[in-house]
Amino acid sequence: MTWKANRLALRQGSLFPLSASSLAAVVIVTPVLVVLWRSLTSGKLGFTVAINVDNYLRVFADKDIWPMLSNSIIYAGGSALLGTGLGGLLAWIVARTNTPGKGLVELMPLYPLLMPPIMKNIAWILLLAPKSGILNGMLEQFLGITYPVFNAFTMAGMIWTFGIACVPLGYLFLLPVFLSFDPSLEESAYIAGSRPVSTMLKITFPLAIPAFISAFVLNFLRALRSFETPVLQGTPGNIKVFVSRVYDSMALEFNTGLATAYSVVLVILSALTLYFYVRATRFSERYATITGKGYRVRVIDIGPWKYVTFAAVCLYFLAGIAVPFVVLIVVSIIPYFDYETFMTFPAHMGLNNYRTVLRHASFLNGLRNSVMLSVVIALITVFAGIVMAFTIHRTRAVGTKIFEFIGTLPLAFPPLVLSVGLVIIFVGTPLYNSLWALGVGLFVADFPYAFRNASGAIVNIHKELDEAAWVHGAKWRHVFFKVTLPILKPAVGGALFYIFIEAIRNVDVAVLLTAPGLEYGPVTLFEYFRVGQWAEASAGGVIYLIILIVAVSVAKFAFKMKFSL
Amino acid sequence: MAILKVAGVTKLYKDLKALDNVSFEFEKGILSFLGPSGCGKTTLLRSIAGLEIPDAGSISIGDKVQTSIEGGVLIPPYSREIGFVFQNYALWPHMTVFKNVAFALNLRKVPRDEVKRRVLAALELVGLGGREERYPSQLSGGQQQRVALARSIVMEPRLILLDEPLSNLDAKLREEMRVELKKLIKKVGISALYVTHDQEEAFVISDKVVVMNAGKILQYDSPDEIYSHPCDPFVASFIGHSTLVEGHVIKAVGGECVVQIPEFDNATLVCAAPKMGLASGPCSVVIKNGDLRLSHQKFSIDAINVLEGAMTSREYRGGLTDHRVQIGSKEVVVTSHRLCPMISVDGEGGKVFLCIEKSAISLIPTHAAV
Repeated sequence: MTWKANRLALRQGSLFPLSASSLAAVVIVTPVLVVLWRSLTSGKLGFTVAINVDNYLRVFADKDIWPMLSNSIIYAGGSALLGTGLGGLLAWIVARTNTPGKGLVELMPLYPLLMPPIMKNIAWILLLAPKSGILNGMLEQFLGITYPVFNAFTMAGMIWTFGIACVPLGYLFLLPVFLSFDPSLEESAYIAGSRPVSTMLKITFPLAIPAFISAFVLNFLRALRSFETPVLQGTPGNIKVFVSRVYDSMALEFNTGLATAYSVVLVILSALTLYFYVRATRFSERYATITGKGYRVRVIDIGPWKYVTFAAVCLYFLAGIAVPFVVLIVVSIIPYFDYETFMTFPAHMGLNNYRTVLRHASFLNGLRNSVMLSVVIALITVFAGIVMAFTIHRTRAVGTKIFEFIGTLPLAFPPLVLSVGLVIIFVGTPLYNSLWALGVGLFVADFPYAFRNASGAIVNIHKELDEAAWVHGAKWRHVFFKVTLPILKPAVGGALFYIFIEAIRNVDVAVLLTAPGLEYGPVTLFEYFRVGQWAEASAGGVIYLIILIVAVSVAKFAFKMKFSL
Repeated sequence: MAILKVAGVTKLYKDLKALDNVSFEFEKGILSFLGPSGCGKTTLLRSIAGLEIPDAGSISIGDKVQTSIEGGVLIPPYSREIGFVFQNYALWPHMTVFKNVAFALNLRKVPRDEVKRRVLAALELVGLGGREERYPSQLSGGQQQRVALARSIVMEPRLILLDEPLSNLDAKLREEMRVELKKLIKKVGISALYVTHDQEEAFVISDKVVVMNAGKILQYDSPDEIYSHPCDPFVASFIGHSTLVEGHVIKAVGGECVVQIPEFDNATLVCAAPKMGLASGPCSVVIKNGDLRLSHQKFSIDAINVLEGAMTSREYRGGLTDHRVQIGSKEVVVTSHRLCPMISVDGEGGKVFLCIEKSAISLIPTHAAV
């Protein structure tokens, strides 16, 4: 459009959505720019700073940088491989084989929503700790092995914990591939003379590779961003990755320059991964086997192998879902945690730990803050996400494509890095140590989910529906509130619950922004855990678990919502 | 007074001219925009509705300027007081039929009982009385289409715009609906702009037709004029039912011309001179498939424009038959109610005689195709 036509267009109902989106964009971009800026300056906070690359020189002079880089990649790659591989296998078992008891797996997609990441770490540390761990204790008691076979504080322990957490995503990515696979692709292989096993190896699995790569890269990115596992399991075992190094620079040294420089390295890694993810997804769309036709896929009789796959399903159910869950609950109702007390269960059962944590002002404060803030943030974030998506897809303002980039930008920024930026912005202002800083952090961290969800949904609404309202007399606010929003209702509901759940169990944004008197949710669990109050940590965790179970059940059954990651 | 005035409207998509300096005026009645996909007809309609913003030009509805890029006027779509029927109907899935139709009235704060009266009247008019509490997904395609129509006329706008409204219906229903649609629009007495790529539909429904290609208006005339006197080779070939050859006017006497046609082995044809007059020079010759006579015997001596050819194939279409006759290096299609037997396909046996009535030919001067 010519400049003149453009200016005329802008007057027509673009102004409000455009300004609202710009405001959101500024909030998102500011912490990002602050991190970049701070990484390029030196000096202490509040003093005049000089622009230089000193921080980077220090980062790259750090003799630990290479082990840290390789640790990060081994940790992220290992857990992504374990999680995606196992998830893909389970998806295939459920979709295509006659394995008995495969219904056990169908619970899985909900599981990651219920179990906050920090709870998984706590559960696995209780199980795998080298001295006090339950499994090592059992090995000693029953088999007389005194040597600690399991150790949560090793790379293998980290990969195990996070890898198991990566399984649901792998499962969810690959299940539709196996379920809506065009049977004629396999049938033509049979006709050509291929037996079921070789058809599986030569046709079925290769066609699932693009989805596998997508899920792998996404899990890799999640591992790079993850906070709990590196800090709770890596740091005690002296296995450093970038996230834990950033955390240490902030929490122990309070050297923002150094923290931001490490952050930038981490961001570059994440951005590269994200780039690969976008490429991989595009590739897998080209490779698409899903046509939208309702195929009835054939379940293959795998003969005696079905007992092997049955064992795999049971093992996953035990290791991935049941055992950590049971351990947490048991530990929360025994007087204190050590192996002997644990084994006497249910002898000294009681709700003492719950009473204790519910008497702690900090726990209650954190609980109240996280419930309240999560509700508010979910509402604001989802609304802002919809407005931004609306601005891009439904107004005539030019240059709105930039919002596409800004709205997705926080995905490349690990939440911990965002909160580093927010600490730098807010420190010294009255907003530091207030819920405002936390709210902004959660908003920015969760924005991409809200935005991408709304964007996907709006693109699927035929544009004519809006235009019909428009030509029949609706101004932008009528279009937005009477047409777009009501049609988006199911997607909006899902996003609200998802962001509520993400926010209420958040640790990595909040950990740098909390202070005594300003506690936030699961961060208090993190603190319990760090001072060795394991039973209290478990009890507190179970309280959060109950809140999440209630939220998810309400969403699932009352609103018939479907969740996807 | 013209209900619609379009002057110098140009719309660019990158380097592509979707609309290229389009100007016309329309008095009243039903006007069709006809052309192949991508010719700019929908862009023109959407520009009139205010859904697209042209890069230049002006559009007036009634006496009010709606778009004038040069004059800095751009009335938003919601203030243009028009009706619009979208290709996919665009019924809001979360509202009942009643609410869909009442939407525009409610926005304008029309009193409730009047809304009810007017909505029910509009639904009655389109034959959907009693279905107002259904949701759009509970209706068939044809019924959805009627709801969309009711929604566009309930405000009693001066002008309704219809963007290929019948293209999602199956062929049989489409033929029924186009007659009904025309009756309905005439009954309501609103002027309508109708976009279609189907020439038959345009002819059935409209008082005037704008034929477009590549963002330009090629011809703006009544359906009959467009069919009998296409003024552009593209129009002739798009309307179809004709064979197009290149010719050369060698003589023009009185109201008649003699055209020589190289592709017919330099045979000459006598025909009426075109209106704009054509003394000599190259031209396109449009021969109407339906106005030809075909015979295995020679025509009587006084018959004019008799050509000799060979029938190569024949397609029976039920009622009508297309006969393909090779004349010189060109294949001519002869459509008749009568099945002309194929004597033989190999060589001489297929010999036929073709008589082209003067009225079957129209000439388009080559230089006139601007």
